[in-house]
Amino acid sequence: MPSPLIDRISIELGAQEPWPKDVKLFQPYEVEQILLPDNANCLAVQAFLKMCNLEFQVEPRSNAEFMSPTGKVPFIKAGRFVMAELEGIVQFVNGKGISLTDGLDNEQKSDLRAYMTLVRNVIEIAELYICWIDRETYNEVTSVRNGSVYPWPLNHIQNREKKNQVIKKLKVLDWYNKTLEEVHQEVESCCEALSVRLDNKQYFFNGGPTELDALVFGHLFTILTTPLPRNDLAEIVRRYPSLINLVKKIEVEYFKKDSRRL
Amino acid sequence: MGIVHAKVQDGSSKNVGEFARQTGLKEHQDEPDVKEIDMEKVPVRVDKINVEGLGRTKNDIVEDCIRELFKAKDFQDVLLKAHRARVKLDELGCFKNIGVYIDTSKGKTATEDGLEVTFDVKEHSRVTGGISTQVGNNEGSVLVGMRAPNIFGRGERVQMEYSHGSKKTSNFNLAFIKPFRGKHRASMRTSILQAHSQWPSSGYKMVEQGIAIDFGFYSTSLLKHSLQWEGIIRDLSTLTRTASFDIREQAGVNLKSAFRHILSLDLRDDLIFPSSGSLVQVTSELAGIGGDVGFVKNEIVFQDNTSLFEDIVLQTSLMAGYLTTLSKDKKITVADRCYIGGPLSVRGFEARGVGPHSDGDALGSNAYWAAGLHLFTPLPFRPGRGGFGDLFRTHFFINAGNVGDFSLEKISRGQLLDILKNNMRLSYGLGVALRLGNMARIEVNYCFPYKFDKGDQTHPGVQFGIGVQFL
Repeated sequence: MPSPLIDRISIELGAQEPWPKDVKLFQPYEVEQILLPDNANCLAVQAFLKMCNLEFQVEPRSNAEFMSPTGKVPFIKAGRFVMAELEGIVQFVNGKGISLTDGLDNEQKSDLRAYMTLVRNVIEIAELYICWIDRETYNEVTSVRNGSVYPWPLNHIQNREKKNQVIKKLKVLDWYNKTLEEVHQEVESCCEALSVRLDNKQYFFNGGPTELDALVFGHLFTILTTPLPRNDLAEIVRRYPSLINLVKKIEVEYFKKDSRRL
Repeated sequence: MGIVHAKVQDGSSKNVGEFARQTGLKEHQDEPDVKEIDMEKVPVRVDKINVEGLGRTKNDIVEDCIRELFKAKDFQDVLLKAHRARVKLDELGCFKNIGVYIDTSKGKTATEDGLEVTFDVKEHSRVTGGISTQVGNNEGSVLVGMRAPNIFGRGERVQMEYSHGSKKTSNFNLAFIKPFRGKHRASMRTSILQAHSQWPSSGYKMVEQGIAIDFGFYSTSLLKHSLQWEGIIRDLSTLTRTASFDIREQAGVNLKSAFRHILSLDLRDDLIFPSSGSLVQVTSELAGIGGDVGFVKNEIVFQDNTSLFEDIVLQTSLMAGYLTTLSKDKKITVADRCYIGGPLSVRGFEARGVGPHSDGDALGSNAYWAAGLHLFTPLPFRPGRGGFGDLFRTHFFINAGNVGDFSLEKISRGQLLDILKNNMRLSYGLGVALRLGNMARIEVNYCFPYKFDKGDQTHPGVQFGIGVQFL
């Protein structure tokens, strides 16, 4: 049985090969299954890979979450290697000598990490809160979508299981007892901070787009375009035109679709 | 209490000797004043049957067991019927020990040839428990069990088992068992279970949680049927990060709802080292009425034993199975597919070693057959004869088998034979087999894989197997 050390070595060795042609990005079904936080993370990884100009194919699977080595979506399969989540994938790509942060000095790099953590710890958690704790959203959207891939009665069991996991996580982070207003405030102050950092520039850093831009794009774009019974998060984001501009720009540049009305 | 000393004239009846051995009755041969009588010619009438020691056990089920005894006409019949009644009482599972006493009947109502039979029973206590070790197919485990036998007085029991295995699998099982009265010896078992299992040969592990219902009965005295339904949530995940992608693709939670019918006819004279008789077992499984796993799986196991000389037994065995999809929307996971190879199956191969592999993980196929020709003999020079040595057998074998992915509907009969024959795996070898209680068998064999495929994982040399059901 391979030990974690051998795992690590094989990942390091694999990293030396060039970017394979048949890279696939696995994520849940977009139309009927995926939830807001997962969708945001999947979009962030897609944006990052596009910014790096790396080829990949999106492969929807109903059990993507279980296939992922970390239990979270998305993950990519490159040759024999599987990497999950934005951080892991960024590291894997960096290992191949491709990086979006080469032009940054150390201070900027630590800034970048700090802002990425901020997005992860505020916006993503707020999305989880809205999806799983807000009763209206849970009943009308989350439970229906999350359970859509399971037969009865497994759908109810899986919904409850997942809900318990999320509640546990939120309790650890001290978010479970927050009211909706407090959650809105957290999101608002996070957007404020991002907006201040962006300072009407094209991207967060002058050298061009980085993984931070990809992550912010993933989350904000999803928040703005996902129809939910409660669209207060989208309302808050709309108050920051500089962030909206960033999202629009990345969408036009990398996803080459007509910019939807945000 | 009077005791009947009866002696049979030599060779007059073999039944009695056998009966005496089974019941532990001793014939006192040395007593000088023994009168020789032919028990078949002693007319008797069973006047009264006493059952002593009944507490919470209900009368009706005990009556069912002993009723036949009243019909006995002669003394030998009484002995045989009393023995049969004792076996039946034992099968109820309510009693710890059962003693049988036969006496002449006394008192006002006694008839001339009257007998009085007394069953002295001791009931199980309300709750029993224990820690034991258990041997399953290639795994040993520690088992903690609790039992509440005979809770409502008709043999119903609740049992709880928790086991922790040598391969770090832990299992939980809570079962309620209810035997029914009647000649079909029916019984019903409802259980709630959780089972962890790891399959290193296929690179996955699985947690199963669910409900199982099993209804068993005999349609004739030896033909046993078992109708089962199980509703199980199965969480399949990869065992390591480096598991092959084909296994990773199947990770996830699914719900299996399956009906199963098992028909078995066991005419063997022993479970572990039979010397004569055969076993036929046919299993049909239909999954997909509810749930998202769907398939039809049919399997057959056949075994025949022939005694060549007194202690030399030739065993032929055959297993075959075929799995078909039910519909396109229902899944068939790696856990449902068919595998052969390993010390309990086709020896000389790794467990699940025959057939398609992906990065070392066995993927299984939808059809298989495996056959074995075994010769069991006592140990050379027969050390420990009549005692310890009888637990061992020398074992020579030839195993063959094949797996395939095909659909029976799409091929003709001629093609089928070709598919079954082409690329057949063959191995042979010899070893020693050891009986473990009356439950399991250990085999240590030296194997020579003779014909195998590129993708197979062979295991030449010494192979160790422990299990309940062997090919």
